Amino acid sequence: MPVDIPAPRPAVVTPVTEPLRVGVGYSDAADAATAGRAAAAEALAGLHGTPPELIIVYASVSYDLIALLHAVRRATGKAPLVGATTSGQFHDGRLINPGLGVSVLALSAGPYRFGTASVTGVTENGDDAGQRLARAARAAAGPEPSAHAAVLLLTTGLAGHQQELLNGVHKVVGAPVPVVGGSAGDDRLLIRTCVFENDNVLTDGGATAVWIASPTPLSVVAEHGWHDVGLPLLVTKSDGLVIQEIAGRPAVEVFREHFHDEVTFERPGLLKPAPGYLSAYAFGLIQPDGSKLVRGAYIDEDGELKTFSPLPLYAPVQIVSCKAEDLLRVTGDVVRQSLAGRDASVLLAFSCVARLDVLAEQGAKEAALIQDAAGDVATFGFYTYGEFARTTRVAGYHNATLTAIAL
Amino acid sequence: MTADVPADSETEQLRRQLAEAVDAARDAYRDTTRLIQLLDLLGRPAGSAELIGDMLNVLSDAFFADVVCMARVCGDRLIVSGSCGLPEDDPAYTEGWPVGEAVRRTLATAEPTALHRDVPAEDVPGSVAGLGIRSAAWIPLSAEPYADTLLILFRSLDQPFAVPDLRMLTSVAARLHMALEERERHAIIEQLAHYGHLLARHLEVEPLLDEAAGLLLRLTRADRAWVVTVEGGQGRLRAHRGLTPGIIADWPVPAKSLDDLPACEAGLPEVLKVAVSRENGATALLCAGREQARPFAQGTLEIMTIFANYLGVALTNADLYHALAERATRDPLTGLANRSALVSHLDTLLSAGDPTRVGVLFCDLDGFKAVNDLFGHEAGDELLLQVADRLRGSVRPDDLLARFGGDEFVIVLDRVKQLSEVAEIGARVCADLDDRLVVCGEQVQVSASIGGVLGVRGQATPSAMLRDADAAMYVAKARGAGQVEVFDEDASHRSRDRLDLRAELLLARSRGQLHLAYQPIFALDSRAIVAFEALLRWTHPHHGIVPPDVFIPLAEETGAIVEIGQWVLAQACRQLALWHRLPEGRGLGMSVNLSPVQLHQPQAAERTLDVIRAAGLHPADIWLEITEHSYLRHEVTEYAGALGAAGVHLVLDDFGTAYSNLSYLKRLPIEILKIDKSFVSGVTGPGGGQIDLSIVRAILAIADSLGLVAIAEGIETEDQRTALRSLGCRLGQGYLLSRPLPAAQAGLLLRPRPQLPARAHRVG
Repeated sequence: MPVDIPAPRPAVVTPVTEPLRVGVGYSDAADAATAGRAAAAEALAGLHGTPPELIIVYASVSYDLIALLHAVRRATGKAPLVGATTSGQFHDGRLINPGLGVSVLALSAGPYRFGTASVTGVTENGDDAGQRLARAARAAAGPEPSAHAAVLLLTTGLAGHQQELLNGVHKVVGAPVPVVGGSAGDDRLLIRTCVFENDNVLTDGGATAVWIASPTPLSVVAEHGWHDVGLPLLVTKSDGLVIQEIAGRPAVEVFREHFHDEVTFERPGLLKPAPGYLSAYAFGLIQPDGSKLVRGAYIDEDGELKTFSPLPLYAPVQIVSCKAEDLLRVTGDVVRQSLAGRDASVLLAFSCVARLDVLAEQGAKEAALIQDAAGDVATFGFYTYGEFARTTRVAGYHNATLTAIAL
Repeated sequence: MTADVPADSETEQLRRQLAEAVDAARDAYRDTTRLIQLLDLLGRPAGSAELIGDMLNVLSDAFFADVVCMARVCGDRLIVSGSCGLPEDDPAYTEGWPVGEAVRRTLATAEPTALHRDVPAEDVPGSVAGLGIRSAAWIPLSAEPYADTLLILFRSLDQPFAVPDLRMLTSVAARLHMALEERERHAIIEQLAHYGHLLARHLEVEPLLDEAAGLLLRLTRADRAWVVTVEGGQGRLRAHRGLTPGIIADWPVPAKSLDDLPACEAGLPEVLKVAVSRENGATALLCAGREQARPFAQGTLEIMTIFANYLGVALTNADLYHALAERATRDPLTGLANRSALVSHLDTLLSAGDPTRVGVLFCDLDGFKAVNDLFGHEAGDELLLQVADRLRGSVRPDDLLARFGGDEFVIVLDRVKQLSEVAEIGARVCADLDDRLVVCGEQVQVSASIGGVLGVRGQATPSAMLRDADAAMYVAKARGAGQVEVFDEDASHRSRDRLDLRAELLLARSRGQLHLAYQPIFALDSRAIVAFEALLRWTHPHHGIVPPDVFIPLAEETGAIVEIGQWVLAQACRQLALWHRLPEGRGLGMSVNLSPVQLHQPQAAERTLDVIRAAGLHPADIWLEITEHSYLRHEVTEYAGALGAAGVHLVLDDFGTAYSNLSYLKRLPIEILKIDKSFVSGVTGPGGGQIDLSIVRAILAIADSLGLVAIAEGIETEDQRTALRSLGCRLGQGYLLSRPLPAAQAGLLLRPRPQLPARAHRVG
C-alpha cells in the first residue's frame, strides 16, 4: 500500500504567536479571600479573555495565605501559580508599602511556555533542592525543546542557602539559562517568609520556580548604585554571619570608621528594621571584574557586626554606601537595559527591602521611576530579602540590588 | 600664610594615583582571596566528585567564567567529566566535541593555553558557543595519570586570562590533581576494603569468582575483566565481564601456555594479569583489559594484587566452608549423607509439588553387635563400609542413601507411585545384602531387616516417615533376619498408636492408672487357696483396660518395667502381709511375675529381697515367676541362685512353650513349674487332646522326677480339673476356680467355704 509522503516543510517556520497579554490586579482588603478574589479578578480582566498561562502573586505575610491562594485560584483556575510573601510590592509605578495588600499578575502564553515547580529542603541541601527544582520546572513546561529559556526563582528569605540553591539550578540548566528572582520577605518582621506554588504555601526551606521557554534570548539585568567609601579590605576573621575582624582589627571599629558625618543614625520610619540596621552602609564584595556584590550588614544589640549571608573566607571587601539618589540613579538603567531591543509586554523586577530602607520617604520614587522607564510596558515586582540575577558566572545572589527581566 | 593647596592638576594626579592604588589593592586582595578559597577547598574533606563540583563552581566565580569544565581526551574527542555552566543534558558530557588546536597544543606542551577574542569555534562546545565567548583558557591537569585531562574556562567577559591567572590556574590544577589522586587512593582503599567484604560473603566458589570479575572491572576501570583458574594443567575461564562469545570459545587452554596464548589476552591491547596466590601455589589468575591502547592508571597492578589476596582468602574460606558443610552433612566413616542431610533432603522432597510419592526404607543390620563384640570395633567399621558399598550398588541413581546411625541405613526413594515399589526395592536391597562378607579375614554372614513406608508430599513429614519405617523394620526383624516389612497407612497408624501408648505408659503409674488383680492358686484336691498370683492391670482413661500382652512388652521396651515391676512386688507383698494377719491367710504364698529386663538390673536380687523384707514377709512367702528365655544370661543364674538361697520360690512360667531346655531346670533353683494354658485346655479336647495330655503327663513326670511342684494354668472346666487331678497335678488356677479379683474381693475367698464356687457347677 503506497504511503503518502508529506510535502516538504518550508525551511524556516515563523510561528505566528499571540503577543503576551498582561493583567495586573491589586487589593488591600483586610480579608484574605476578598483581597485575593478582587486582585485576581482585576488581573484576569487585563487579559481581555485570553486564558491565563501563568499567575504570579505577591502578598503581605499578614494574610491568611491559604485562604488568599484559594480565592485567587478560584478565579484563575488551573493556570500555574507562583508567588511569594513580600516586604512591599510595586507595579504600575506604585509602591505598596510593607504590611498591606496583594498583587496579582496574570500572563497569557504569548510566545512563551511556562512550567512551574516547588521544592522543600533548601536549608538541608540547597544544591540538591536547586537541582530538583530546575528539573521539575523544566519538565513542567513540556518536552518540546525551546531555543532559549530563563528561570524565575523565588525562595523563602529566611532559609539562607540562596547561592547553594542557585548552584543547584545552575548545575542543571547551565550558563545559557539566566536566573532572576528574589527571596520572599515578611514585611520586615524577620519571622517567617513563604513562597507559593499553585495551592501550596511553602514556608522557610521552600522554593518555587518558573521555567520560561522562549523563542528569543532572555536576559537578566542587575544594578545597585552603591559606591565604595574606603579602600579595599580583607575580612580576616569571621564566624558564620558575624564579622569579627577586618584587616586584622575589630570589625565594628573598622566599619564605623567609614560612616560619613551626614549619616543619620535614625532608622527609616518603616515597620521593623533589624536592630542596629544601617541601610546606608554595607559590604561590597569585590568581584573578579572589579564590580561588587552588595552584602547588607548591621551592628546588632550585642555590638557585633553581622551580615545577612556569610562572606567567603578572607573576602576582599570595600565598605560601600549610598544615598537615595544613588539608588534611584540606576533604576532607570536597569529597566532600559532589560527592555533594550525587546518588544516586551511586562517587566518583572525584584528590589531589595534595604533599598526601600535607604529610600525612606522617597520609597515610592523607585516604583515610579521603574514605570517611567518602562513606558507602556507593565511593571510588576516586590521588595525582597535578597535578589537573584545569575547572568555570567555561577554567582548570582545579590543584596540591595534591583534585578529585572523583560518578557 | 596660607597652606599649600595643591594645584588642580596635582589633585587630579593624586586622585589618579589613589585610584590606581585602590585598583591594585583590590586586585591583590581579590587574587589572595581566590587563592585562599581554592586552597581551602582543596583541603576540605570531600569525595572526588564533590571536590570537582565545588572546585569548578569556585573557578567559575573567581575567574568570572561562564563555563568551567573538566574534560578528558578520548580518542579524537574531548568528553566533559564535570562542569559548572554546561546544562546537565549537554552532549559535551556524552559525545564531547572534536579535539581542537588549543587542546592539542596544551597536551603537547603540557603548558596552559589562553586565547582572547579569537577563540576558534572548533575549540568551543556547541552550547557554549551561544554565550558569546570572548576568552578561554586550557589548563593541563597534570602529567600522569590525568595527562589526557584538562581544565577549560570560557568567559563572555571581554577580558583575557592574564599570565598570573594562568599561573594560578596551573598551580590549582596541579593541586587539584594531587588532591584527586589522594582522594582516589582513599577511595580505592575504601573500595578495596568494601570489595574484600563483598568477596568474603561468598561461601560458594562460582558466585565468588563471578563477583570477583565484576568487582575487578570496577576496581581497575577496565573494559573487560575475567578470572581464570588453573586445575589439572588446564586454565579454565570461570567468570568474566564483557568477553565476547568468540573469546570464550577459546577456553580452556593448557595452563603452561596461559602467558602467551592470544585467548589469554582476549584480543585486547592493554591487559593486566595478577596471580591469586594461595598456600598451595597460584590457583587462579585475575585479568583486566582495555579495548583501546589506553594505559591503566599507575598503581592498578598493586591494587589488583591486594584484590587478588582478598580473593585468595575468600577462596580458602569457601574451601573451608565446603569442607565444614561436607562434615555437617556427611557421615565421616562411610561418606554417606548423615542423619541431618537425610532429614533435610526428605523434607525438600516432601515439600515439592509433584504427584508422585516418596518412599523410605529403614535398614538395620542383623547381628552387627555380634560382629562388633567378636572381632572389635574396627571390624565393625569395616563391615559398615562394605555394607555401605553394597547399598550404594543397590540404590537407584536418584535415591539418597544415608547412614542413620550405628548399623542403621536409610534409603530415600523419590518419585514412587505405590507401596509395592517400596517393597520391591526393599526386597532387592535385602537380597543384595544377604551374603557372606570377609571382615578382618573372617567370614561374616550379613543380612538386614528392612522397613518401608510411602509418604504423600505435602502431608507426610520426615520424622513421621522415619518413625514409621523404623517401626516397620522392627516388625520385619521380629519375623527373623533378612526380612522386609512395609507399612501402609493403617499399619503406620497402629504403630503410631503403639508409640502413643508407650509414651502414656511412662506416666500411667503416677496417674494412678495401674492396679493389681489377684488370682488364687488352689490345691486341686482340697480346694484350699495356697497362693495368689498378682497380675498387673492398666486402665487407660480412653482405651479402657489395656491387655497385659500389649503393654508389658511396651514397658519392657522403654525400661519402665523396672520401676513398675518393683512397684508390683511392693504392692503384692504389702497385700500378702495384710492377708497373713487373717487367721485363714497364714502360710499363704504370693506369686509375682518378673520381667527378664528386671533381672538384668544391677543388684536385682538384693533389691527384690529388700522389698520382700520391707513388707515384713519372709522370702519363702514369695513365688517369683520367670519365663524360659530369661535364663539365657549368666546374671539370671546368679539372681535366681541368690533368691533361691534366701528362700524365695522360683516359678518357671509357661513351661513347655519355649526351649524347655531341661539343663536350665538343673542349673537354676526352680521349685515350681507352670503348665501353660494351651496344654491344659487340650487335655480334654477332641482329637488333639491326646497329644496335650501326653505333654502334660510328661511335664508332670519331669516335675515329679526333679522334685518340683506343678501348677496348671487356665483351668476353665470341671473336666479339665478332674483330668489334671487324675494325672497327679496338685495345684491349679483358672476361671473355673476364680478370675483375677481386686484385693478386697480376693480377700473374701479366704473365708472358709463349704464348696467351690457355684458357677463351676453350672459350667461343669
